[in-house]
Amino acid sequence: MSSASGARDPRAGSLGRLFEVFQREFIHNLRRPLFWMLILLLGLLSWELSGGHASISSGDARVGGTKAWITSEYAISQLMILMISIIYSFFVSVGAGMSLIRDGDQKVGELLHATRLTPGEYVWGKYLAVLASFVWVLLMHLGLAMLFNHVIPHGENRDVIGPFVLGNYLRPALIFALPMLVCAVGVSFAISGLTRQPVLVFALPLAILLFGAFFFWEWSPAWLSLAVNRVLQFADLTGLRWINETWLNVDKGVDFYNHQRVGLDALIVAQRILCVIVGLGAVGFTGLRFAIQLRGSRGPRRGDAAATAPDLIRPEPALLGELSMRSGAPGFWAGAIEVARGEFRELLKHPGIYLFVPMILIQVFGSIVDTGAFDTPLLNTPGILAVKNMNTLTLLICMLILFYTVESLQRERSSGLAPIHYATPLQTTSMLLGKCAANTLLGLAVVLAALGGCAIVLLVQGKVPFDPGPFALAWGLLLVPTFLVWTAFVCASFAATGNRYGAYVLGIGAMALTGFYQMRGKMSWTFNWDIWSAVRWSDISVFELDRSALVLNRLMVLGLAALFLALTVRLFARREADATRLVHSLRPRALGRAALAMAPFAIVPLGCGLALAFLVHGGREGETTKKLQRDYWKKNVETWKGAKCPSLAAADLDLEFDPRASQLRSKGEYTLVNRTADTLLQVPVTGGLHWKKVSWTMDGAPARPEERARLYVFAPPHPLAPGDRMRIGFSLEGRYPDGVSKNGAGTMEYVLPSGVVLTGFSGPAFAPIVGYMPDVGVEPDKNKTDPHEYPDDYWRRVLPAALPMFDGWCDTHIRIIGPAELQHNATGVMVSEKVENGRRITEWRSDSPVRAFNVVLGRWKVKRGDGVAVYYDARHPYNVDEMLEALVAARRWYGEWFAPYPWKELKLSEFPGLASYAQGSPTNITFSENIGFLTRSEPKANAAFWITAHEAAHQWWPCMVMPGEGPGGEVLSEGMAHFSTILLTEQARGLEQRIAFCKEIEHRYGNTRQRDSERPLVKVDGSLPGDQRIIYDRGGYAFWMLYQLMGRESNLAAHREYLRTFRASVDHPLIEDYLAVMRHHAPDTTAFDGFVKQWFFGTVVPQYLIADAERVRTEGAWEVRARLKNVGTGVMPIEIAATRGERFPKRRTKENAWRHARAMLTLGAGEEKAVTIRCAFEPEKLIVDPDARVLMLERQKAEIKLRLKREDGRLASR
Amino acid sequence: MIQIRSLVKVYPGPVTALQGVDLDVPVGMFGLLGPNGAGKTTLMRILAGLLEPTSGTATLDGEDILSRPERVRARLGYLPQEFGFYPHLSGQQMLIHLLRLKGVEAPGGLKRLASELLERVNLSFAAKRAVKSYSGGMRQRLGIAQALAGNPRLVIVDEPTAGLDPEERLHFYHLLAELAEDRIVLLSTHIVEDVAVLCPQFAVIRAGRLLAKTTPRAARQAIEGAIFEGTVSPSELPDLRRTRSVTQAILVEGCHRVRVYEPGGVPPPGFERVTATLEDAYLVLMRPGQGAAGFEGNGEPEAAKRRLGDPVRIPE
Repeated sequence: MSSASGARDPRAGSLGRLFEVFQREFIHNLRRPLFWMLILLLGLLSWELSGGHASISSGDARVGGTKAWITSEYAISQLMILMISIIYSFFVSVGAGMSLIRDGDQKVGELLHATRLTPGEYVWGKYLAVLASFVWVLLMHLGLAMLFNHVIPHGENRDVIGPFVLGNYLRPALIFALPMLVCAVGVSFAISGLTRQPVLVFALPLAILLFGAFFFWEWSPAWLSLAVNRVLQFADLTGLRWINETWLNVDKGVDFYNHQRVGLDALIVAQRILCVIVGLGAVGFTGLRFAIQLRGSRGPRRGDAAATAPDLIRPEPALLGELSMRSGAPGFWAGAIEVARGEFRELLKHPGIYLFVPMILIQVFGSIVDTGAFDTPLLNTPGILAVKNMNTLTLLICMLILFYTVESLQRERSSGLAPIHYATPLQTTSMLLGKCAANTLLGLAVVLAALGGCAIVLLVQGKVPFDPGPFALAWGLLLVPTFLVWTAFVCASFAATGNRYGAYVLGIGAMALTGFYQMRGKMSWTFNWDIWSAVRWSDISVFELDRSALVLNRLMVLGLAALFLALTVRLFARREADATRLVHSLRPRALGRAALAMAPFAIVPLGCGLALAFLVHGGREGETTKKLQRDYWKKNVETWKGAKCPSLAAADLDLEFDPRASQLRSKGEYTLVNRTADTLLQVPVTGGLHWKKVSWTMDGAPARPEERARLYVFAPPHPLAPGDRMRIGFSLEGRYPDGVSKNGAGTMEYVLPSGVVLTGFSGPAFAPIVGYMPDVGVEPDKNKTDPHEYPDDYWRRVLPAALPMFDGWCDTHIRIIGPAELQHNATGVMVSEKVENGRRITEWRSDSPVRAFNVVLGRWKVKRGDGVAVYYDARHPYNVDEMLEALVAARRWYGEWFAPYPWKELKLSEFPGLASYAQGSPTNITFSENIGFLTRSEPKANAAFWITAHEAAHQWWPCMVMPGEGPGGEVLSEGMAHFSTILLTEQARGLEQRIAFCKEIEHRYGNTRQRDSERPLVKVDGSLPGDQRIIYDRGGYAFWMLYQLMGRESNLAAHREYLRTFRASVDHPLIEDYLAVMRHHAPDTTAFDGFVKQWFFGTVVPQYLIADAERVRTEGAWEVRARLKNVGTGVMPIEIAATRGERFPKRRTKENAWRHARAMLTLGAGEEKAVTIRCAFEPEKLIVDPDARVLMLERQKAEIKLRLKREDGRLASR
Repeated sequence: MIQIRSLVKVYPGPVTALQGVDLDVPVGMFGLLGPNGAGKTTLMRILAGLLEPTSGTATLDGEDILSRPERVRARLGYLPQEFGFYPHLSGQQMLIHLLRLKGVEAPGGLKRLASELLERVNLSFAAKRAVKSYSGGMRQRLGIAQALAGNPRLVIVDEPTAGLDPEERLHFYHLLAELAEDRIVLLSTHIVEDVAVLCPQFAVIRAGRLLAKTTPRAARQAIEGAIFEGTVSPSELPDLRRTRSVTQAILVEGCHRVRVYEPGGVPPPGFERVTATLEDAYLVLMRPGQGAAGFEGNGEPEAAKRRLGDPVRIPE
């Protein structure tokens, strides 16, 4: 066909027809609110993110330090992947998935396919149009990001905006975004084209989110082999696991990320190509199947009924009147049941239910491999499983509710039944209720499947019995309101917009925004409608914390559900509205009347919401508390920070608890002694914000200290000269914790019906803290300063203790009164116990002076060993023996290696998992239920033993030797505890577990260190991001390497001297003091100095790569040849071993016998050397540092399977 | 009785689908005749409570059915022009579902009633089959079955015979006639034969206005003696159309058998006077220009009055 001018009509031919389809669809998409809504959402997110709120964890957090740019290619790549996976994918599923279904609904198929248009042209035209539409969105997204990042002026986020480089935006779009779009659009297209089921198109984004967020992107224990890790990287088609594991987890330095392009390897290139192949292949397959369906080339299936009426002579039918029919109107419930019945029939025929149920089951079964502290497999209890899966269930079921409810409401219109259906006398409320009830059954099916899955997990685990109670509580009481309000919101969205796409846009947009504010930490009880991550489970303390907020939140949500339902009934249009009347109804008076009609439904949600807002505002993380803390800081920081003060010589306390009301009463007296060299005119003590009815005494007489925003300043009648003492008495009562959290945060100390945990040094929960507390009132983005920089000779001064209050030793005397059902544990030994009038009264005294005190109440059973005891909840006996063994071993071996344990008993007390920590207070270790009591110990991961050993070590470090106040001090506590754990583990548990522990802490350090802000051990003070891992993990490893360098006996002797020197000294040590003592015992001081310079005064960390590794048969033996390179920093002698067999098998056989041959090398930074190892056996692997004696990065890459070099010189395939 | 006063419907565009319709529909069968786009379906949907009018009123037995559409639904049997069913349900399941939603009761139970109704519409053989396997005619018959169910006071059928073969159409006529004995049956169609067979009264609507309300006999009588029929060649037909009021032109063996309306009584050469049919009357009314001129009041044009005589009102 040609136009009059003779030019060829572009619509002619196959390409022309394809272009025609493409053009129609593309133009249609450009007008659709779906795409504009996506752009709006992406624009909003880009605006928010331009503030620097999501950046790579790298860079120097200090002023003037280089920050990681959010505009680097790495940052944009990571962000792009997340956006595509979480945001785009849902809109793609609607846009792509509904494209063919929409044509079916509009019945244009017959007309289209009666033309020359082939199925392939139709399918490809549609697909390319949808793809082009999303590419257009992507371009708009990039444009907005560039605008917000580089054009709009910046204030506080200046540091994180780098120079504009177009490639930083385009390359991630081409490498990560585009292939994923091709894949997602293609697969969504295929699902809809092949199944014609609208709901199934959402299976893809759901699968991406579920498996990504809860598995691929998170699960990476230290013991995972590199090969398996690479397979998982390939399987995660989003690319996020690859970029994290390859480039981001181990910090390469901010300079690298800010300036380098994302390096691609064969795996990611192959994966991106695979994405494109999958996407295009899916479309191709769809085209083929579409062609078959269209031409009806499939014959009738067996069982198909006859297509025509039988040729019979029909008898004359009777009159209609004889049927005696009566019209009426179905009752409310009868109508709802009938609608629900119809819906349910549709649901059962729908394949979705058979797809989404297995999805949740897979997620639940993943709990079997969940890991906790030190990648130790968790022991799941019913409550833990119930709460752990709440987020997954919320996400999956809310998505299912969105899709199924919308399609259910749309069903009559799509099927054409609407004119008949809506003309029946069925009440609208009845219809809505029936539909929602049926779709609720789907949610119920998923929940029941999850319940079944959890039961199977517990069965496989074989330790903890199944108990439906926690599930009923967590899923029944807490989740059901979420599903009700979401269903009502979806219904209201559909009713308000009048079409399915409007409802999808509102629904997906609401979820995306909710998720975004959750991630930004801006969520609170007031708006957390899905209580995402706001709920903690404790077998011991079931929803005690923040219970009032939880109840109000659920009531608010239920009220919102009623409001949305009322809105739905009001807005749902069975009768098509008249446009003119609609305009009239939007006049203020009409709107006001409508709002008034809705007002009663708003009372409950509004009331509860306001109450929650007030609770949060006045709660322990609220603005009121923050203001009081800021006042404390503002008033006192200039005057009292670093001021000298006396330390505790004795503490005499009377404590009374009313756990049901979270009330405590405290009365006591501190005896303070001035251990400084100065005369003190004033003595400050910090009180708690929750304290009420406070009164003071000084040396026995009533006193009125100066109150400075909760810092109480005493002026003794006579200045306190060095060595002088004074007594400060106090009486107070209060509620602790006082108020609710912002969004479900835990708490380290508390008074609750299930128990009490209070320490005397973390804060003034029940007794004052002597001195000014510098961290109170400091907010990271407001008034946090850069770390104090100490002079290099700072350590030479006579330094006070890191905890000034416990500068010296003190005696404690604590009396505790509480409910009879709660047992007590406190510092020291119990000297008396009695129960009278429903109250338990105990008295405790320190049998030897201590440097801290704590109080714990709970319901326990107790298991005792030689001078040790474990107090545990009766439901958690699983690891008690292991913990007891660790305590016994610690008492014995730490006592032998360092100094005898000076106290009578070492106790360990379990407390509810309202915070995940353990704390080694003298004689009474507090231990959370969820970091050691509920784990499954394995040789490669044994949190129960390791954490107990670590906390037991604190009895020595710092309870016996308190580090000084200054840089590196905390390393002498936490790092030493890790080092002690290394020794104890090897002593008590053997080499395998010791190696596993070393690898765990090394892995943690490697994945969290921030290269640009890492400071040497002698300088680190815990104030910068990444410091904690340096203190604990690098510190512990450094001490371990020093131990090997010095030799066991020398090193242990040095530690004993260190203890003797500083145990009672007024001068408290820093690392330099420690090293000075160590050096005295070092056999080779030159080697010692070299080592210390690198590992304590430097920030070196080597990383080894093996290249050209091969094994060669030579003269009856084998030779392994390779090149080893240190691509990290530091100079260390390193062992490399050729091995065969399994080193630590479950069962030793002849086949897995382990053999090894080793060589030793010393490699400097960037240095590469050849290594040859002769073996009497055929080696299989080459492993660098097989005994984990040297701290390194990415250890898994320093291990390789050996290839055989054939006689022709070529390497055989593996 | 249905009383409609000043009913207006304006769609966004703007498109005025109804331009102030006044109509009384008595008990019995009443036809609404008009071309595509005349506003018939709009009127049906408004009465069935599926479309909100822009203005106007409508009552059923004195009760306002526009402000409270739910009041009509309990007394309504409705067969829309375009509709569908849940594809996965069988015909019987679908019908029972709708019977329940309509609150229909029967002495033998709904399952038996559904079987009886399906028998009435000749769908018993396909009762257990999924609706998605039904032909267009079968779906239409299922739609008829649900519209007849219960004891509705008002039955609205919109283009009900579309997709039915002649035998089924006749069968449907019997059903409707039985229904119309003691209730209001409003039949909307563009097929004149349906009105001729079924409706003692009908109204003609075009472009949103009611042109006439009359009976088939009165409509025929109004043009009696003015219809002439003859045969012309294809080349003569265009000239004839220009100079005469051609009501029909059917091709028969290569020539056009043409009917013309000649109120002056002077036919074209070779044409003979024939008995006027209702179709002739309808087509005369639908002629462009003639029908549109002189609308007043309820939209009954002067020309139509001159052509059709005074409307005949059947006593209630």
